[in-house]
Amino acid sequence: MEKNPPEKSGSFTGRNSFNNNDVSTPRTPSLSTIDEKADGHHQKGERDNVDEGLLSDQDHNIDQVSQDIDRFTHSLTTVDDKSKAPEVPDVVETFSKIVESRIAKYYSGEMQTKSAGKVTEEDAFFIEAVLRISKLTNAFSDIPSSSTTTSSLNRTSMVLQKAMSFLEEEFRALLEASSAANVNSKVLSIKLSNSFNSKPDDSDRCALPEPESTRNEEYPAYTPEVMRRMNRIVTAMISAGYETECCQVYGITRRNAFMEAIKNLEFEKISIDDVQKMQWETLEVEIAKWIKVVQHCATVLFPGERKHCEVVFSEYPSISRSLFRNLAGAVVVQFLDFAEAVAMTKRSAEKLFKFLDMYETLQDLIPAIARPEISNEMKSEISAAGDRIGEAAVNIFCDLENSIKSDAAKTPVPGGAVHPLTRYVMNYLKYACEYKDTLEKIFQFQQKKNKVEVEVEASISDGERDKDTDREGSPFSLQLMRVMDLLDSNLEAKSSLYKDPSLRDIFLMNNGRYILQKIKGSMEIRPLMGDSWCRRRSTELRQYHKSYQRETWGKLLQCLKHEGLQVSGKVCKPVLKERFKNFNTMFDEIYKTQATWVVSDDQLQSELRVSISAVVIPAYRSFLGRFRQYLESGRQVDKYIKYQPEDIETLIEELFDGNTASMVKVVRWVAQFNVRTTSRNIDFFQTIVELA
Amino acid sequence: MPSTDYQGVSASFSNFGRSILSIRRDQVHSMENTHEATRQEFELETFQRQVADRFNGLLPVGSDELLSLSWVRKLLDVFLCCQEEFRVIMFNNKEYMNRTPMDRLMSEFSERSVKALDVCNAIRDGIEQIRQWKKQLEIVLCALDNQRSLGEGQFRRAKKALIDLEIGMLDEKESNASLAHRNRSFGRNNVQKDHKSLGHFRSLSWSVSRAWSAARQLQAIGNNLAAPRGNEIIATNGLAVAVFTMSSVLLFVMWALVAAIPCQDRGLQTHFYIPRQFTWAAPILSLHERILEESKKRDRRNACGLLKEIHQIEKCARRMNELADSIQFPLTEEKEGDVRQRVQELVEVFKAVKDGLDPLERQLFCVLVFGPWYISFMLQSRLLSVVSIFGFWLLTEY
Repeated sequence: MEKNPPEKSGSFTGRNSFNNNDVSTPRTPSLSTIDEKADGHHQKGERDNVDEGLLSDQDHNIDQVSQDIDRFTHSLTTVDDKSKAPEVPDVVETFSKIVESRIAKYYSGEMQTKSAGKVTEEDAFFIEAVLRISKLTNAFSDIPSSSTTTSSLNRTSMVLQKAMSFLEEEFRALLEASSAANVNSKVLSIKLSNSFNSKPDDSDRCALPEPESTRNEEYPAYTPEVMRRMNRIVTAMISAGYETECCQVYGITRRNAFMEAIKNLEFEKISIDDVQKMQWETLEVEIAKWIKVVQHCATVLFPGERKHCEVVFSEYPSISRSLFRNLAGAVVVQFLDFAEAVAMTKRSAEKLFKFLDMYETLQDLIPAIARPEISNEMKSEISAAGDRIGEAAVNIFCDLENSIKSDAAKTPVPGGAVHPLTRYVMNYLKYACEYKDTLEKIFQFQQKKNKVEVEVEASISDGERDKDTDREGSPFSLQLMRVMDLLDSNLEAKSSLYKDPSLRDIFLMNNGRYILQKIKGSMEIRPLMGDSWCRRRSTELRQYHKSYQRETWGKLLQCLKHEGLQVSGKVCKPVLKERFKNFNTMFDEIYKTQATWVVSDDQLQSELRVSISAVVIPAYRSFLGRFRQYLESGRQVDKYIKYQPEDIETLIEELFDGNTASMVKVVRWVAQFNVRTTSRNIDFFQTIVELA
Repeated sequence: MPSTDYQGVSASFSNFGRSILSIRRDQVHSMENTHEATRQEFELETFQRQVADRFNGLLPVGSDELLSLSWVRKLLDVFLCCQEEFRVIMFNNKEYMNRTPMDRLMSEFSERSVKALDVCNAIRDGIEQIRQWKKQLEIVLCALDNQRSLGEGQFRRAKKALIDLEIGMLDEKESNASLAHRNRSFGRNNVQKDHKSLGHFRSLSWSVSRAWSAARQLQAIGNNLAAPRGNEIIATNGLAVAVFTMSSVLLFVMWALVAAIPCQDRGLQTHFYIPRQFTWAAPILSLHERILEESKKRDRRNACGLLKEIHQIEKCARRMNELADSIQFPLTEEKEGDVRQRVQELVEVFKAVKDGLDPLERQLFCVLVFGPWYISFMLQSRLLSVVSIFGFWLLTEY
């Protein structure tokens, strides 16, 4: 070991002479006096008489002493016959004294280095000295007892133990000094909780807020000097065979600090039992907290902890790995307990999105801790918990099927308006599809799992399922299709509640339009449903439109047929009068009823009006133009020619407006409909509808 | 094959399984085909017998083996097997799950299972704690084992670990005052500092919330657990008996785990009301009694867990401690011999703990991983009747 003796001993002496100035002056024995004494075999009692002062003055020979110790240790380890150990030179005692005085000084706080956290020359020397003592002690231990070395073994082993106790305490103190880091994380937690309170809805969906990522390098908050000191202590302790103690101190202290850090993020342990008993509103808040904490761990705490561990235990990568693994394991287990507990709660539709958030959070946690060094057990534990959450999500999503199937209404929505079920299902699907990739993944996994189960059971004879196998597409898109088909047939059934076939068409058009618009408007769903699906739907809508035209306006147009009005070349006035009267009555009737009908989609509304005008106005105009003359001369013209073509046009423009009275009716109907939901579901239901 | 003479539910409990099946046969006659009835009958009967056989298998152990790590592992094996068989029975009888009173029984059962999972989590913490003690043993062995000669410093090192071990093993209930006292009596130079280090061991202990209590949890699992009545048995085609059986097994196994392994607020006062007529009642009640006896032994009364290995750790550590205190340096040959003997004892305990703990934890992992899945199966089968978000439409006419 090449060192720079003058500088080193200088700093060492400097300090010591300052301390021992007056004590040491009377006797100033040099190293040579010790050498003389060495002949006289030091006994236990004698040792105590060695003056502290003496040590300070042989400091300039410290390298000499060290070299002597190394030489002696070497001779001990290489001696062939261990029972014939060589004489123990006095330098052993001298060296022990040096180390002891060093420890004493550290303890008395004279060495200010402790708080400053700097690795000084003294520290470097101390660590080296400790390693020397350790090697020497090991060499002594290897020699059978009852030999001459026994008392020296007692001596050096005590010094070593003292030194190790000191280092252990020092290590712990340094580690705990990261309570400074705890202060930081407290600040952090306040920031976190603020950001959480301010926007509870999207904060858990979006990426981590700024303060966390910018603080990335500050966890755990140790200065580089402190880290270096820790590294030295660790190296010394492990080299001296105190690995267990060293790892224990590190493991426990860091684990406690970590637990403290996540507690500051408001993570609290809740028993599985308590989770089951929680109201959803409360649980939702807990889930949001959980997501925050797990994300923070995945992005900041675990990487920080791992890095810290790697630096401090830089010479011992495998120890560092196992320490990190243990720490991460202890933390992750608690996260998973909560996830499992949540997955076990009773399922209901509003939970889907939070479940998916949790699933995604767990997926992101895996790479944060599961590098190759992490045992597969932890990885699989995390994925297992994720799968259960995923399974719950799939079941909730598939429950939509049951919900649609079981919704057998007995009264139609007034005015053929969009049914709340349509709104609900479509909005639900739209939100669900924001998690499309996640859902795809989960569905695929579940399908694989189910396949196995189905093969084992071979009991599913459901016709629907067989039909599915013919279809192409991912399991999730198939499920989506199935939901859409169910919704269609449900609406089909609902439409039959309308006695008026025209209103039935309007209802189907309204709902079909709503569905199509939602799907076209969502970048996520549209590709899943495909263009051909959209085209098919559009065609269907056109058919409803045509059917409506025929049903309502076809009859009206019958009145405007030119045929049958002439009897032997002459216009038959009474028949003509009857025609006009019929037209008026019919149109009035249509106007009266259809003005209350509701078409809330502006485009559909105008399409309908335009198409009506396009068939009715020209026909009426031509009818009027052709036959007006026969009535104009007579009395009560207004009775027969009630409307000018412009009037008709104006009135057509008022159709499907859902006048105030009819809107009130619809709103009341929907409200009544909602009242029938359980109070808890209303909120969710309404938020979904309002969000639309 | 079971006899067919049905005597009435209360009349003949002498062979419980038999009478249940007879009752059911009378009921089921017209509803099911005989083949189906026979299969289910066989299943339920087999389950009763297997549970009894398995627990009987746990019985023949000496008191030195009862509650040892290997025994606890056998117990968990038994539990996992029973649970799996039970699951299969329930799966094969899905159609009954939503009928009264089976729906209620199953919902009660899944509640008990959820509570049991919390116990398992606490036990997992307890295992972690034992692992910490194992590390102290490791230090002692590091200091004293495999050395040709032993120095004072090595004893000091061992002694330090033994003190930490002793502090770590103190039961939660013991006050800090008594800790401080103990600590001082060990003559360490800085009580305050030691107190700090002591805090390290304590705060590591439980990840469950402070208010959680194993005793109360066991109480909750056992709440309202009673043998099914005749009409319940009839209405469920005998499945109620299987539910009761599994619930009792669950309660007993959780109770035994709490007895063996340290966890927060242990308490063994849970009562077991199992009619002796069940074939599995005898072995379970007998095991219960033996474990209770064990807990009342003078040297075990204040133990933090009845696990045999914990006792051995305590014993060895104490003896080693006493020996270390009595040692004078230089070491006499005789003392050195004593030390080596004590070290050998420690080595054995250490090995037993080291070899037994990991497999036990893996089993517990099985329970914990399997459990949630299991419960979700229960929930799923209940789902069919659960009122989901649209469920109200089922009930509404408009």
